[in-house]
Formats: sequence, C-alpha cells, structure tokens
Amino acid sequence: MDDYKFLFKVVLVGNAGVGKTCLVRRFTQGLFPPGQGATIGVDFMIKTVEVGNEKVKLQIWDTAGQERFRSITQSYYRSAHALILVYDISCQPTFDCLPDWLREIEEYASSKVLRVLVGNKIDRDDREIPTQVGEEFAERHNMYFLETSAKESDNVERLFMQIAEDLMKQARMTNVPRYDPNNYNVDPASQDSGCCSRLN
Amino acid sequence: MALNYGMNLILGCCGCCSAFRPRYKRLVDSIFPVYPQDGLVKSNMEKLTFYSLSSPEKLDRIGEYLYQRAAREIYRKKYGFVIIAMEAMDQLLLACHAPTLNLFVESFLKMVQKLLESTEPDLQILATQSFVKFANIEEDTPSYHRRYDFFVSKFSAMCHSGDTKDVRDKIRTAGIKGLQAVVRKTVSDDLVENIWEPVHMDKIVPSLLFNMQDSSFHKEPPHGDTIPEDSVDPPMLAETCMRELVGRASFGHIRAVLKPVLRHFDLHKSWVPNEFAIHTFRIIMFSIQAQYSYTVVETLMDHLDENAKSSPTIRTSIAEVLSKIIAIAAGESVGPSVLEIINSLLNHLRDSVKNGTIQAEERQYQEALINALGEFANHLPDYQKIEIMMFIMSKIPFPLVDNQTPADNMLQSILLKSLLKVGTKYQTIHFNTTFPVSFLEPLLRMSLAPDPEMRLLVQKIFHTLLDRHGNLEKLHKPTLNIVDSDLNVEKSSRPDLIFINKHGPTIYDALYTSLQMDSNTPDNIEAIYTTLGLLCVELASTETVIDLLQLLLGIQNLALNSTTLSYAQKFNLHALVISLLVLISDVMNIQSLSDYSSRLIEARREEASYCLPEMLTQYPAHCESISKMPHLLVDQMAVCEYLKASGIDPSRLAQTSPYGAGGPGAIAGSQRHSWMEAGARGSIMEIPSVHEVDSAASSPGVTRKLPEEGLSFESMKKVLSEPPEIRKESEAEKRKQISHTFRTATFSELVRLTQPKHDLLQNKLNEIFKSLTTAESSSTTDDPKKLSKCEESFPELFYY
Ligand SMILES: Nc1nc2c(ncn2[C@@H]2O[C@H](COP(=O)(O)OP(=O)(O)OP(=O)(O)O)[C@@H](O)[C@H]2O)c(=O)[nH]1
Ligand SMILES: [Mg+2]
Repeated sequence: MDDYKFLFKVVLVGNAGVGKTCLVRRFTQGLFPPGQGATIGVDFMIKTVEVGNEKVKLQIWDTAGQERFRSITQSYYRSAHALILVYDISCQPTFDCLPDWLREIEEYASSKVLRVLVGNKIDRDDREIPTQVGEEFAERHNMYFLETSAKESDNVERLFMQIAEDLMKQARMTNVPRYDPNNYNVDPASQDSGCCSRLN
Repeated sequence: MALNYGMNLILGCCGCCSAFRPRYKRLVDSIFPVYPQDGLVKSNMEKLTFYSLSSPEKLDRIGEYLYQRAAREIYRKKYGFVIIAMEAMDQLLLACHAPTLNLFVESFLKMVQKLLESTEPDLQILATQSFVKFANIEEDTPSYHRRYDFFVSKFSAMCHSGDTKDVRDKIRTAGIKGLQAVVRKTVSDDLVENIWEPVHMDKIVPSLLFNMQDSSFHKEPPHGDTIPEDSVDPPMLAETCMRELVGRASFGHIRAVLKPVLRHFDLHKSWVPNEFAIHTFRIIMFSIQAQYSYTVVETLMDHLDENAKSSPTIRTSIAEVLSKIIAIAAGESVGPSVLEIINSLLNHLRDSVKNGTIQAEERQYQEALINALGEFANHLPDYQKIEIMMFIMSKIPFPLVDNQTPADNMLQSILLKSLLKVGTKYQTIHFNTTFPVSFLEPLLRMSLAPDPEMRLLVQKIFHTLLDRHGNLEKLHKPTLNIVDSDLNVEKSSRPDLIFINKHGPTIYDALYTSLQMDSNTPDNIEAIYTTLGLLCVELASTETVIDLLQLLLGIQNLALNSTTLSYAQKFNLHALVISLLVLISDVMNIQSLSDYSSRLIEARREEASYCLPEMLTQYPAHCESISKMPHLLVDQMAVCEYLKASGIDPSRLAQTSPYGAGGPGAIAGSQRHSWMEAGARGSIMEIPSVHEVDSAASSPGVTRKLPEEGLSFESMKKVLSEPPEIRKESEAEKRKQISHTFRTATFSELVRLTQPKHDLLQNKLNEIFKSLTTAESSSTTDDPKKLSKCEESFPELFYY
C-alpha cells in the first residue's frame, strides 16, 4: 500500500475562488465539498495512483489564491514538478490575471516544471471564456490545456493522471538516480532527473 | 472482531504463518493489543526494546516493519493501532544509542511523514510530537543526506490550518512546534540542512508571522520568555519561535529572515496601521545578536527605498517603525555606520522633497523620518550628536537666496528641522564644544536666510543648544515681569566667557542683521529675544552685559532710523529693547537699572503702549513713531550712569556703537567701517594664522582630534611670539582686500540683495564670514594681558 515507485509534487495556483481546492478534493477524496471556504496559506493532500503497473505518489500542494498569502505560496513553487494554473471559465478577471501568474511562475518555479492550464467550472452556463481562447493562450505559452468541472467531476481524474503519466515519461527518459526515501529532493531543477524522484 | 483482526494480520504478512516469521517481527506484533483502546502491551514493548538493544543490527528492519504496520493501519483507518505504533517508535528512538541510531531514524522519519500525510488531525499532531522528540536527541554523526524539505513544507502548511477553531489551533500549534523543532535540529550544522536557505525561510517566517499577527500582540507575555512549552496559544508560541530563530541567526542569515518579514508586511498590508509591524520589529531587535542590529535598520531603510513609489502613508508607517527601533540600534552602532544611517535618512528626506512637498501625507512622512533621526541621535553619545549636527549642516544646500525653488526651500527647512531635532537631544555643557566654528559659522549664515520660517528654525536651534538651565520656557516670549519667572542663573564659567568673547561679536552681529529683515514676523523677533535672553542668562558677566546693552541700543537705533522696516516691526523692536533691558537688569541685579526700565515702561504705558510686548503684526493707525518722544527711549547716557553707579565700567558703551542704523538710508558700510577703525574691538586681521586655523577646522566633517588641537595651539603660540609689526606687514595686502569688501557691500546689504547673482553673493557672504571669524578671534587676543592670563589658565581652550 505504500510501495510507490515515483513521487511527484504538484502545486495548484490561480485566483481565489476558481476552484483549486474543489479540484483537489474531487481528485483525492472523490467529493465536491459544499461551501468550501477560501484556502489559508497552503493545504496539503496526498494521493497514490497507478500508471501502467507502477505506483505513483502525488504530493499535492493547494495554494491560497488571495494575494496576501503570496509570500508563503510562492515558496512552494520551487520544488514543484508540475504546476496547475487554474482559472474560472465563467469569470473573465481570473483569465485576465493569467499573465501575472505566469510571471510569478517564471520567477519562482523551476524552469523545467510541467505547466498545465486548467479552465474550471465548465458545468456553469454563464461561460465568459470560450474554450478556444483558453486553448490558444495555453499554446502560446507552451502549456498543456484542459477544461474541467470539479462539481461534475469532468476531466478531473484525467487532469491528474495525465500529469502523472507525463512526469513519469519524463522521468524514464532521463537517467534516474537511485532514490533515497528520505531525500526529499529540494529542487527538481538541480537533479539530473529534471522532475522526479524514484523509489528503488 | 478479534478473529477478523487475526485474519487481516495473516493476510498482511504475505501469507506466512506467524510461527515461522522472524523473531523481530513476532516481537513487534506482540506489542499490539487485541483492542487498540488497551494501549501498548508494555511487557512486550520491554522485550522488543531489550531485543533491539542487544541486536542493534536489526534496528532498521524493526523500524521498517513498524512503519509497514502503521501504514497499513492508516489505510484501514485503525488509528488506535497507528498511535501505538508511533509510541513504540518513540520509545525505541529514545532507547537507542548513538552509533545505531541512524539505522532507525530513517524509518522513524518515514513514519512521521506518513502520519503527517494523513488528513486526520490527531495523527498530524501525534507525528509532530514525535518529530519534536526526535529533534531533541543529539546525534553524534549527523546524517548529511537527510533532508527536511517535506517537514518544513508540511509544518508551514499546518501553521495556516483553516479547520474549525478548536482543531485549527491545535494543528497550528503543532505546525509551529514542528518548525521550531526543525530549526533546532538543523541550525547548529549547516551541512545537515541549511535551514537559512530562502526555500525554507520563505515558508517558516511567514508562517510564524501569520500566527503572531492573530494575537492580541499589544499584550506582552506576563514574564518575558517563560511561556510554557505545551501552551496551545499559537500566537505566543509563534512569537517565542520567532525570537529563537532571530536569536540564532548569524550575520549571513539575517537578510534571509528579514526579507520574508518585509514581504509579509507588504502583502498583508500590515504597515498601516503599523502596531503589529512595530511589535514584530521590536521582537527582532531584542532577539537579534546585538552586533547585527544595525543590519535590521539598514534593511528597513532599503525597504523604504523599495517603497519609493508607495503611498506616503505606507512610507510614513515604515519610517515610524524605523523610529521605534532605531534607538535600539544606536547603542550598537559605531563609526561609519552612524553616519551611514544618518546619511540614508537624509537622502530619504531629500527624495521625499523631490516627490512633491505640498501633500499633508508627504509631510507626515518627512516628520516620521525626522523623528527617526532624532530617536537615533538621542541614543548616541553627545560627541557624536555634534558630529551629526555638523553632518546635517553640511547637507543643507547653499546659497540661501530669495528666488530658489520651493523644493530647495523645503529641503533646507526640513534639514533644519532635523538639526533642531538632534539639537533637542543634545545637552550642552560647554559652549565651545557645542559650537565649533565649523558649526557656528554656517548656522549663523543660515540665520540670515531670506525665508523667515527658516530664520525662525535657526533661532530655535540656538535656543535648544544655548539653554542649559531650563530657562527656555520662561524666556519664550518677551515679558516685562521676568522677575516673577524665577530664572535659573548660574555664574558662567571661564570657558564660556572665553567663548563669548571670541564669538560674541559674530553672534550679535548676525542677530542684529537678522532684525533688519523686513520679512520678519513677531515670531522672528520674539525668537531673537529668546536667543539674546538665553545668552544673557547663560553668560551673565559684566563683559556680556556691556555687549548686550550695546546691541540693545543698536536695535533701538534701528527701530528709530530704518527706512525699510514697517511701523509694526519697529514697534516690535522697541518692545524687544525694553524687555531685554528688564531682563538684563534682573539677571545682573542692578536695581537702579531696573527702576529705570520700570519708569520707561510706565511712561510707555501712558503714551505708547504699543512699544511694549506683546508684539503684534498690525497696530491701530494712531500709533506713531516714538522718535520724537525721547523720554520713552532707552537713553545711552542714563544707562552708562546706572552702570557706573553699580561699579561697572561703562566706557565701552559710551563709545560709538558698532551697530549701524541700518536701512539703505544709512548704508551701514561707512558706519561699520568706522567701527572697524574705532579700535573699540581692535582691527580685523590682527592675527592671520588664527584665520587659517579656523578655516581648516571649519571644513565639514573634520573632527577635532588631538593632533589637530596641537597644531592649532602651536600656530597660536607662533602667532603670539611673533612681533606684531611683521604680522601686520605680511597681512597688509589681505587686510586691504577685506576692508574693500566691507566698504563695497555690507553684511546686511548683501543679505537684502535679491538679484540672482548667487555665486557672487555666496562668495561675498563666505568671505565676510571668514573675516568676521578672524575679527572676533582678534578681539580675544586684542588685549595681550588678558590673553596671556587666559592662555596660562586654559591653554587647551585656545585651539579655536
Ligand atoms: N459550478 C462550479 N462551482 C465550482 C467548481 N469548482 C469550485 N466551485 C465553487 O467555487 C467556489 C470556490 O471554490 P474553491 O475550491 O474554494 O476555490 P479556490 O480556488 O480553492 O479558492 P482559494 O482557496 O481562495 O484560492 C466554491 O463556492 C465552489 O463551490 C466547479 O467546477 N463548478
Ligand atoms: Mg482553495
């Protein structure tokens, strides 16, 4: 039950209220929490998934969107293997802020981090950002793109599985050093593997 | 139930029959009770401990097996068993001896992490407790490959727990304790894990601050640091942890701590209001190793720079924080760092002036900076205060002319305000140490600035520096009842008298000239009353009295003859004169003079009450000049008589006044010149080398140190030993030049010039001031007898 082969750190960022926490809870606990309050600082969740026949452990750091927590949240970017940047498809301002978020990611995250753009809340019928617009933005900035609904559980599983698969592929391609179970790899960029740690 | 458990156990052990399993596994299994609520099976735990101590090579496998069991129980949500597993781990950890410990620690930490990863608050708290126990163990051979990244990340996240209030506080407390433990574990050995790396500090510091700011921080803990370790008050605990962290920071680490602190305040908008920021920075200042406290001040000032574009309200708040902590740093600041801090504060002032000067908020910011300056100076030794005052003085832009930009004016007056602030923190003992020429000279020069506000500030600086006996309040405004105010007069010391002998003429002249300014308000004139009053009280002697009376008569003449002053200003001057006369007769205790002034006052009350205080800006139309009413005026002859009667030689007073009538109608030039030639004070340039010494000593920033004193004294001696003829000859040319200057432009005339010939004006002012310095130097040495006497008694005073 605990013999995972890969450990990846995934960090979620994006404006307050776009549904980061709901996405994480849907994925890790299979539920859509009613009346989810704003995240304070950083939340932590863990989920072990299976890719192929390998167990992959995902450490998920769910950050607060509120600006006042930026100092604490940014400090988590650096060790991330994957960054999920979330906006709310029914709320233009959350999309307009994306360039600011990218700048922060540029500044604080590893250059090799896997970046995924997510437009959440597709169950809503007051969409303001057409899929195509999000897609183009992602393409322009060299990111994966996915639209999700934490509420209806659309694409949530796929989102995280895709990330796990991708990171694993990357990890296999590069020369993976022997994993030390207690060496919690501070900086993914500083290792040859680029983005992951492997259990022996 | 029990059966069920057994089944699971068998399944969980790869199908092996328990009888054939290794001994260590059987021992581990035996510590678990059938029902979790029964708790750890103690006797079996002892057996396990004994076994692991006698077979330490099995420790890693025991640890791993315990971990596997715990992981399984977590998966099944059988938390009771998880707690038992952790307890067993704790006991083994404490029982282990140093060389074998490392084998066990890996699985121990894996277990702690496993529990921390659970969403169950109780398990997280339990894990933290175990981690704290681990952190308290001293390891002989630290494990260099061990990393604490996860723990710092997770504990920091716990510090921000958003659970319901009850759980929340417990989780937050656990988070803080966890961070404290990581710091304690790693701080002593950078090789294990450099906890000071930004990647850690950027998590730890905001987490602590986040908890601290929730506290009722204004309440100091009842007994300093004696917060019980098991306290469940996150704010208190966070504060303790912060103190510890800051206290352990060595020089290279301080910025790593301060940077996230500043960011936190920026992001949480905690500068306005700034109570929490002040609280935090005081904690930092009191916890930091004293020799580094300067760095905090420096960092905060850098932060002001970074906030150059922020609202003045934010900058004001930051500057206020600065002023609250700067005093703590002052005690530790030495040498160049002192002037660096001052310089930086002055630069911020300058920048602020550039920003725009009108807004009230910007002014508040400037006030806050000036306060910081004052706070800082307040805690420096006095000799450094003088250095600072001279330093500030050197930053004040010259020339002072009418048509400078408002920003120039603003900067000048702000710097003067700073100077005043520092001045109020300084306690004068001897005037000659308070007023070295290099300080006095520019100060007097500034007392003649075109801007009346600025002149007022300069007088205030004089007030605070002159007042040694707490008379300032009593002399604040001209009064006719000074007798009632019970002045504190002490006999002046010889060094003081030497000072006033030497500098008196320059000072009196500047004051007199300043009274000629037609932009004077009653405030200006009253301020000069205060300055003169203080001089009189502080330097009470027959010498001084004659000087003052001479000046007093000069001022009266000015009031009578000036063609530029308004009627109101002239009435103000008359009020000044009579108030001074009252003061002088009281301080010198000359009854006849007192009576005389009383009679004058009586007469004025009848006929010209407008020539008595209080001073107004406007008078009714019927008020007319009292020049035609000699019985209302202070009479020179009468004063001489009264002085003589009380045993004071008035001959000097009877001679021609050194003070011109003022005003373009009676160009002071010729009069001033006649004063120079009258010999009452000796002629200028009598002792050239003194002039040189003085100008050398007046270069800003030069501190008077012993070698220089020696030099000055030497040159002084040389001057004295040379026959006067030679001196006169060699300086004839120079004297000619100076005299020429005096003929072509007078002091007061120059000041009144409004043409934009700044350089010319500036040069002339400088020249004249230099020569004046020389003139007053010569006056001290004018009388050879007096000089030699003084020189014998106080040779050390003669380097000025
Ligand atoms: N309709 C709909 N609502 C959603 C969805 N996901 C989240 N929400 C709602 O959006 C609101 C905010 O969700 P959160 O998950 O708390 O948002 P967050 O991004 O974590 O916000 P912060 O923690 O403040 O940064 C909640 O009221 C959710 O119920 C979704 O997929 N569809
Ligand atoms: Mg959230």
